[in-house]
Amino acid sequence: MNAAVTRRHTGPFLPEINSKKRRIGSQHRTKQESLPTGSVLNKSTQILSRENIALVRNSLKQNICVRLLQEGFPRSYSELFFLLRFNEDQRTAAEPGSDVLLQTPLEDQRDKLETMKLHLSLAEKAERTGSWSTVNEQRLFLGRYFSAPEDFWLSLHFFLSCINRERGSRSRPATEARACLAEVYLQQGELEEAREQAELCLKMSEDGGWLDLSGRPLRLRARQVLWRIFNRLADAPLADGDYGKALKLLHQGYSMATESEDKQIVGEAAYRLGLTYQSTGDHDTAKQFFNTCMQICGTLEDPKGLGQAYKAMAKSTESEGNIDETVRCLEKLVDVTRSNGLQHDLTDACLYLGDIFYSSSQFEQACQYYLQGYEVACNLGDVALLQKAQVLAAGARAQSFFGRYSADVESASHAALRRLLDWKETRGGRDPADNTAAAAAWY
Amino acid sequence: MEAEPQDVRTTSKIIPLALPKGTEKLCELCQRRAHLQCNWCRVTFYCDAEHQQADWIGIHQRICQLLLPIRTPTLFSLQRAGRIEIQLKKAELIEICRLVAESKLSEGKHQEAMPAAQFCLRCSIDVHGPSTVQLVPAYLLLADANMGIGNLALVAELLSQAEWAVLKSPECGHAVHHKLHRSLGRLHTATGNLEEALLNFANDIYFASEEYGLDSTVTCRGYFLMAEVFAKQGKMPVARSLYSEVAQTWHSHLAKVLKTHIKNVQKNPNLLLEPSFDKAHLVEVDGMLGTILEFEQNNSRKDSAQIALVAHCLAMLWFLGRDDLKALGFGSTALQASQLIPNHDLTESIQSLLQLVQTEPHPRCD
Repeated sequence: MNAAVTRRHTGPFLPEINSKKRRIGSQHRTKQESLPTGSVLNKSTQILSRENIALVRNSLKQNICVRLLQEGFPRSYSELFFLLRFNEDQRTAAEPGSDVLLQTPLEDQRDKLETMKLHLSLAEKAERTGSWSTVNEQRLFLGRYFSAPEDFWLSLHFFLSCINRERGSRSRPATEARACLAEVYLQQGELEEAREQAELCLKMSEDGGWLDLSGRPLRLRARQVLWRIFNRLADAPLADGDYGKALKLLHQGYSMATESEDKQIVGEAAYRLGLTYQSTGDHDTAKQFFNTCMQICGTLEDPKGLGQAYKAMAKSTESEGNIDETVRCLEKLVDVTRSNGLQHDLTDACLYLGDIFYSSSQFEQACQYYLQGYEVACNLGDVALLQKAQVLAAGARAQSFFGRYSADVESASHAALRRLLDWKETRGGRDPADNTAAAAAWY
Repeated sequence: MEAEPQDVRTTSKIIPLALPKGTEKLCELCQRRAHLQCNWCRVTFYCDAEHQQADWIGIHQRICQLLLPIRTPTLFSLQRAGRIEIQLKKAELIEICRLVAESKLSEGKHQEAMPAAQFCLRCSIDVHGPSTVQLVPAYLLLADANMGIGNLALVAELLSQAEWAVLKSPECGHAVHHKLHRSLGRLHTATGNLEEALLNFANDIYFASEEYGLDSTVTCRGYFLMAEVFAKQGKMPVARSLYSEVAQTWHSHLAKVLKTHIKNVQKNPNLLLEPSFDKAHLVEVDGMLGTILEFEQNNSRKDSAQIALVAHCLAMLWFLGRDDLKALGFGSTALQASQLIPNHDLTESIQSLLQLVQTEPHPRCD
């Protein structure tokens, strides 16, 4: 604050020192000029009221609090004071080095304090005249204003105060506050609270036809949030291997997603369901969901989603033993990823294809795909991936030689013996690259 | 302690020849030439019987004997250890005077509080030196007493002294700031400078919240004073909301006190005979809540919930202050108001309080 004050005052002080007039002009003239400015300065100091002095002398927190009280907003004052005290207590209780201490204290953030002062006082004014929905409107605004992750406790406070009022808790702003609240809880990982709020929001917005502040219908927004919540809720049973419970939750999420009119999340929900069915071993159902996902991703032109679906589909068909289908899926995957420049996925796809061919003893093809994967990995500059591809390619190449070599040994015909001898002679070549080249020439 | 020792024996004429040469005795209250002295301590002097009486009622009966060691020089008192002991005794005296003055002020006896406040200031200057921050409480007491008798010019002077002392040491703590701003606010209210009064009360509330917390009864008093200013400005909705904050705070405070009181009485029935609220405080709070109740009852749109709340506060207050008649009166007002609202959550506690008043044998408070 002090810096700002001095900056403001440098204006009138500096030009006089540096101006040429002072040097060139007569002494008399400068005197005349300087006299009025002096009296103006005196006047302005006389005009300074106690209030103005306090603005400079006292802390920001005190100034804001005093102004709120002076303007007649005791409730806003006590709320603001309570929040500031809470923040202070948290900071004093925090251990050194914790996150809370790294953030700027709330009482030093002018913008946030001024915003809270403005909207709390507007809310209190509305409360006196009994316009409850305006009260909630203001509180909702404050909740949305504190969207930064370190301010989540503030947004939580304002959203909760919005829905926990005696009156107006069934208004549009309160319903939107529930949706926002569910999102905040979801971010914080408090899934049960999130679910409760989202379900209440859905119930209240069902027949309201309300839009949120960005113009989206609230009932759709509630469903989207609910889908995300069910998705996260399913994580725990999945990790425990409780597929029945997970499937139930995911199906609930899927139905929310389909009702939310948002294709993107329907695709994601179908993919998630497919994966879970895959883990249970029910590949037919899994494939159905993967197909749904592929269709949606196709219409949305979402290569990433499409790629995921193809890969998952390939896994399912592979587990069923349908190798041709798997290869077809993977080739599509390669096409999709190549044309959309998804290098990482492309490498994965190539290596996967290589694996398939390798396990069905088609070493030539396996080697070919491994080499493709190797090239993409080279482009990516991912050394770990590159080395993995190298090893795989080498293994496949070796396997492919191995067959013909042992056939020659077994057949023991003249021509076979000749080939073996020739190879043996060139094998000790100085250049190891020559070595493979020679082998490749023979086999 | 005796209330009226108005006996001729309490004072006697000063016989100048009996005193050491060159020491002129001055009146304890007005600092003019003294003609009488207190017979009990013989170290306090007065110009006339009227001042003697005023001082006796104001403070002297409480500190008469305590003055003796301070005002009689002995060999010991001239030594270092003696001086330290005397400083300690003076500090104790200051504390006693402050408490006496405060309780008289909250009872509304401003004139009576004057001697105690004056002595407190004089003794404080003696101990801490002139214009130090330690004098601020004494200045404020004296200012409050003068405000009560309408001597506003003197109040302004005293408060500017106090303000100067605070300005010189800004780190003097929230409590001192809070008290100073409250007195300044009251001065500006009395002189009609309402905007300035609001600014001071706002600061008063801020510092009180820092020191005692948002829902303390000390902070609450600031709200009350502020509401009066807003009412004077004609901003009734603001005054109403401030009053409702005050009522809310006192209601929860009194409910808590009542609960512990009932618990204590169950353990030890003898406690019933002792009032659990000191009298000075009682008068002050009664005045405050009474104003709020009147404000609510005169309001055009009568808010029964608010009336019930305030009347319930008053009933609890007088129950704790041992005045069953008043407790009954306010209790029934509260009950009437709360019954106007269906399913009001206060109704039950009001009824149980009324029952308590009627069943418990209380000695009437005089």
